[in-house]
Amino acid sequence: MNLWESVTVALESIRSNKLRSFLTTLGIVIGIAAVICVVAIGQGGRAMLMQEMEKFGTNIFYVFVNFREGESTRLGDFREVDARVIKQVVPEVKYMAPVRYSNMTLRGNQNESSAQVVGTTADFARIKNFNTSWGRFFSEDDNAVGRRVAVLDGALAIDLFGRGNPVGERVVINGNPAVVVGVLEEQESVLGFNSQQTVYVPLSFLQQVTRSNFIHELVGSAASKEDVYRAMDRATSIMERRHNAPAHYTAHSMEQEMQSANKITGIMTLVISFIAGISLVVGGIGVMNIMLVSVTERTREIGIRMALGARRKDILVQFLIESVVLCVLGGIIGTMLGYGGALLIAKLAHWPPLVSWWTVLVAFGFSAAVGVFFGIYPANKASKLDPIEALRR
Amino acid sequence: MIRINEARKTYHTGTVEVKALRGVSVHIRPNEFVAVMGPSGSGKSTLMNLLGLLDRFSSGTYVLDNVGVSELSDNELAGMRNQKIGFVFQTFNLLPKMTALKNVELPLLYAGVKPVERKSRAMTALQQVGLEDRMCHHPNELSGGQNQRVAIARALVNDPAIILADEPTGALDSRTGVEIMHIFQELHRKGVTIVLVTHEQEIAAHASRILYFRDGLLVGDEIVENPVDAGQTLASSVKEVSDI
Ligand SMILES: Nc1ncnc2c1ncn2[C@@H]1O[C@H](COP(=O)(O)OP(=O)(O)OP(=O)(O)O)[C@@H](O)[C@H]1O
Ligand SMILES: [Mg+2]
Repeated sequence: MNLWESVTVALESIRSNKLRSFLTTLGIVIGIAAVICVVAIGQGGRAMLMQEMEKFGTNIFYVFVNFREGESTRLGDFREVDARVIKQVVPEVKYMAPVRYSNMTLRGNQNESSAQVVGTTADFARIKNFNTSWGRFFSEDDNAVGRRVAVLDGALAIDLFGRGNPVGERVVINGNPAVVVGVLEEQESVLGFNSQQTVYVPLSFLQQVTRSNFIHELVGSAASKEDVYRAMDRATSIMERRHNAPAHYTAHSMEQEMQSANKITGIMTLVISFIAGISLVVGGIGVMNIMLVSVTERTREIGIRMALGARRKDILVQFLIESVVLCVLGGIIGTMLGYGGALLIAKLAHWPPLVSWWTVLVAFGFSAAVGVFFGIYPANKASKLDPIEALRR
Repeated sequence: MIRINEARKTYHTGTVEVKALRGVSVHIRPNEFVAVMGPSGSGKSTLMNLLGLLDRFSSGTYVLDNVGVSELSDNELAGMRNQKIGFVFQTFNLLPKMTALKNVELPLLYAGVKPVERKSRAMTALQQVGLEDRMCHHPNELSGGQNQRVAIARALVNDPAIILADEPTGALDSRTGVEIMHIFQELHRKGVTIVLVTHEQEIAAHASRILYFRDGLLVGDEIVENPVDAGQTLASSVKEVSDI
């Protein structure tokens, strides 16, 4: 008797007991569906997270003072010219901009509001992939001559002026009037990084307003994702050399951020899958239970088969295959259910629906393994029956 | 064909010992039709189980078709059961979820015969017992006599050296019993060796030799000079019916 015939025999016996077979395998169905759902949610969530982070630019890196080593930012630690030098000297660096953050009160023609003020150069918009829905971002020229111009984000524009397009209007920043030259397009983000209302102004203008040349950090973008680490290294060492301050500077990249996020979501997926996997084990115990009942019920059948020439191995294989087929059928139904569930969740959460082929493969392999593991004991019991004793039942 | 010598079988149930066979020696030649008779508990079924390799002797030797079976492993016994022996039971012992055809195919399945050949051989066997029009019926859709004929087809499908039948007519009315004996006689005529247990003298009278058992011992062994021809019985009873 070959394997295929054994499978046929198993399928026949499963078919002749449809409801019971289904109930038996229900635990496997639920277990597999749960695992597939969880993995799909994990992968979908991760993919979405990565997409979001990529929007902010994977090439971005920051150069700042090494707080962790107890250093603190002093006046003169960063100069506008540093950014220009790094950009010129390091081929891996594409753009480089100094940044100064501040919180100030802004007044438009409708409203007054407090907002974050970012003083920087034109490169900043290129690094952050900013787009304007109205007007333009300020230029190198604006910064060079210290023009009093401002670029608002969409929410702030509506807040201060009551409309989306206040280009040409006057905005007063801590008592200093400036002209709105642009409004930024909303950068859609579920992560909510951009929730704070922000106005961008030329660094030179902010320095006039605050009467200080203080700069918080430099932000840059590398020519490519692969160049980020070299760009960071060289930028820091240039800073250390120019300011003669070893170990005073450090750098951090979005790429690093993404990697740690990736790691965390991966671990979480693994942990939850493991918990879901426990339900598979419970399902397997259910299968073993019913297989034991089935062996008892079919003792006479086993006796008849033995009388007709079935070897112990044939009986063992028959029951083992029955349990494996049962579990794999459960695995198939579970995969379909899990896939459906994953699609539904992905749709509701606006995630990419991710059920990878290896998840399905692992689910199948696992349900077959459960079938073997929990089927071997009942099958062995069946094969050990004494033919005459079995026939007497 | 079959040669057993000083065969003994003792069952141990708790503290009680039951000596079901107490030294039986028989020689059954090819193409014999042997009926085994004796009171209840005399060891007939025990002998059949031992002849059928379902159980092992406590002592004694058994040679089946020139093979000494006492030293065979479980797997080899299964192979012998499959190749050399055809069983017919009092309660048919068909698998209820399978059609007649599938039931008859079972021994061939374990013999490793390919599906196509299996089917055609099973069909031939069913034809031999006159059930060619009932092949796709399940056992619960067949009469007792028909079920027993399916069981006989199953027993002979593998061309066994010997067919062992333990009270094959025990669950059937007398006319159906004669029909079954008719089939056995035809198989016998074609050269099949048959050992059949029965309680009824009329049934035993169809055989060519009768063995008598009592208390686990062989107490009588006689040749039947003129076996009753079941075919004639059936023909004349049909005549009686049509006479009325
Ligand atoms: N598995 C067993 N365990 C213990 N004793 C048994 C077993 N099988 C049979 N016996 C005993 O062995 C003896 C012979 O039994 P066996 O079944 O061979 O009788 P039999 O001639 O077939 O009777 P019947 O005509 O009623 O079928 C009986 O006393 C019976 O009780
Ligand atoms: Mg008996």
